[in-house]
Amino acid sequence: MWCEGRGKERNPFRCFCLGNQGNLTSNKTTLLKNAVTRFHHTSTSRCCSCSKTISDEKYQDPFQLGRKDLKNLYEDIKKELLVSAAELKEMCDYYFDGKGKAFRPMIVVLMARACNIHHNNSKEVQASQRSVAIIAEMIHTASLVHDDVIDDANSRRGKRTLNQIWGERKAVLAGDFILSAASVALARIGNTTIISVLTQVIEDLVRGEFLQLGSKENENERFAHYLEKTFKKTASLIANSCKAVSILGCPDPKVHEIAYQYGKNVGIAFQLIDDVLDFTSCADHLGKPTAADLKLGLATGPVLFACRQFPEMNAMIMRRFSKPGDVERARKYVLQSDGVQQTTYLAQRYCHAATREIRKLRPSPEREALVHLTEMVLMRDK
Amino acid sequence: MWGALLRRGLRGAGGLRWLSSGGPPWSQVVSEAEKIVGYPTSFMSLRCLLSDELSNIAMQVRKLVGTKHPLLDTARGFVYDSRNNLQMRGLVVLLISKAAGPSTAELSFQHDMVSGIYSSQRSLAEITELIHTAFLVHRGIVNIGELKSCDGPLKDMQFGNKMAVLSGDFLLANACTSLAQLQNTKVVELISSAIGDLVQGIYYENSKSSEENCLTDDIGISRWKEQVFLSHSALLAKSCQAAMELAKHSAEIQDMAFQYGKHMSMSHKLHSDLQPFVKESSSDTMAFSLNSAPAILHQEFCGREAWLKQIREAQGKGNIVDYKKLQEAIKAGKGVTSAIDLCRCHGNRALAALERFPPSEARDALANIVYAVTRFP
Repeated sequence: MWCEGRGKERNPFRCFCLGNQGNLTSNKTTLLKNAVTRFHHTSTSRCCSCSKTISDEKYQDPFQLGRKDLKNLYEDIKKELLVSAAELKEMCDYYFDGKGKAFRPMIVVLMARACNIHHNNSKEVQASQRSVAIIAEMIHTASLVHDDVIDDANSRRGKRTLNQIWGERKAVLAGDFILSAASVALARIGNTTIISVLTQVIEDLVRGEFLQLGSKENENERFAHYLEKTFKKTASLIANSCKAVSILGCPDPKVHEIAYQYGKNVGIAFQLIDDVLDFTSCADHLGKPTAADLKLGLATGPVLFACRQFPEMNAMIMRRFSKPGDVERARKYVLQSDGVQQTTYLAQRYCHAATREIRKLRPSPEREALVHLTEMVLMRDK
Repeated sequence: MWGALLRRGLRGAGGLRWLSSGGPPWSQVVSEAEKIVGYPTSFMSLRCLLSDELSNIAMQVRKLVGTKHPLLDTARGFVYDSRNNLQMRGLVVLLISKAAGPSTAELSFQHDMVSGIYSSQRSLAEITELIHTAFLVHRGIVNIGELKSCDGPLKDMQFGNKMAVLSGDFLLANACTSLAQLQNTKVVELISSAIGDLVQGIYYENSKSSEENCLTDDIGISRWKEQVFLSHSALLAKSCQAAMELAKHSAEIQDMAFQYGKHMSMSHKLHSDLQPFVKESSSDTMAFSLNSAPAILHQEFCGREAWLKQIREAQGKGNIVDYKKLQEAIKAGKGVTSAIDLCRCHGNRALAALERFPPSEARDALANIVYAVTRFP
């Protein structure tokens, strides 16, 4: 993993925590808290494009920039879902109602533009690049549908899950269908490299899910395992779709690597914040139940950090919070600890890495939008 | 011996024709075919089966022993397959690849052919089996909301579902990765669309069984054929076509391969549906689906009202269906003979498609498969 400076050992905790003993000293805690507060208080409304932010240059709201390309995204996805059975069609269309964040397609089209501009100042998004955005969103949704069956989840995005309404059998089929439709669309781009890049995502998603099944005994291994799972389940999709559009827009392999690294880092940050929100947000706002990860037996960032302060959590982690009262106890420990702050700080570091990468591209409003997007990741509250 | 019989048949009838005496027994057909393609296909890619993920799953599935989760049956089916149905699709893909011969496109294309089959075609055969298996597994998911206390603890069923979703997904992901490695976008498109077909076919299968108070659908034989094409034929038909594409064969050959795959699998399904009705009288009546071909055809002949009446009459206490009674009713009608005719009709169409391929051992083996699935006692 990526380790800054101190510690000769590759202990991920030592690297990511402030202070050289791996324990936070009180003034450093304040420093971190202030940094986090500052981030959380820099508000940006969606329609205003002139607020001050961390980046010096004037930026535009990423969602506005990408709006034209993403208009009709969900309509176009639905067109790919050619199903004759009315109910199956209804199921496949269920999550493409335009109410999702469309965060991933947004990154993809912005990256496409940034790469196109970098290469030859082209201001157009190619049809194939737009297809990648569509395919990425479809693959993502298919995996969500299956995850909900695996986790026996009953709500997502503020509404009931597919399995809750139509049962597990049909939900699994719907997920399979969406995946097959994404695959057909992918093949139609007609580029075998792109097929390989995006197929890697499908493999990573499944492997990530398997990683979640297993657990590690050793504390250090746990964190590496957590980050690997995070990469496979969340970041791989973003990293590889960024890479795909960069390949389509620009022949330079250095650009492909930049796109990939941006996607990877922002993806990991995104998941880390998601894991934080599971502790800090309330259910209504989030659209899905909280402490969900604990209830599934998963030890995420905040828990792993908290465990360093409260070693009694180890036993709970090992038994995956299965004993009655474990979930509530673990939750309390986390909120008492600096787990949330540590995880947020870590996410911040990944965002910085993403920013450093993307700034290697030629300046453009899209490039800055991608920088701003990393900030938005940190400021999310749902 | 069978080769000689066929050659006589070929010369005599001026081509491949269905022999009323039928071909060799199924197990022999399969083992002969395996020799022709160069290795036994009776196990899936060991690489996949021995992967960490699947070993993990296998260990977990042990926990399901004693529960009623369908995944256990599916898993058993892989080990104890009595009708040699294991890997049948993969075998057919290999045979048709060999039957079509080397690519006529470019001479430089004559790379890595083993036993007359390109490695890409072998990979495709494996992919076909992976997809088929993935869906066998995904078919075995249970609806948690419909469980009753006699089904056992909820936790077991949820666990079984989890394992089923994961292992099915794993197999599908492997299929996708291998597909990508073929570096052929047309093949990816074809096989991906076959997956979509399979999903829709299974969806229709499911919908029937979940209807309340109605054990049978009001569908005619043409709807039945459409749905069965999706659930039982599309994958093999498109894989056969894709195998041709990999060797850059002409559109005509691709279509012939598709037709063979399609009609042979239709025959196979009809043959399977007919088993409860054509077996010599045995002590136990085999249960059969009221949406199987003979039943659907029977309904078409005597009309839905009459059919529903017969079902009602065969329902005893607690709406339990007396299958023996219904079987008699169907046998008394035209459903069975009609289904047999349909089976042979598809068989002939499969053979007709085969005629466009040059004579060879592989082609004979493919013909033998048709004879085996169109043979009735």
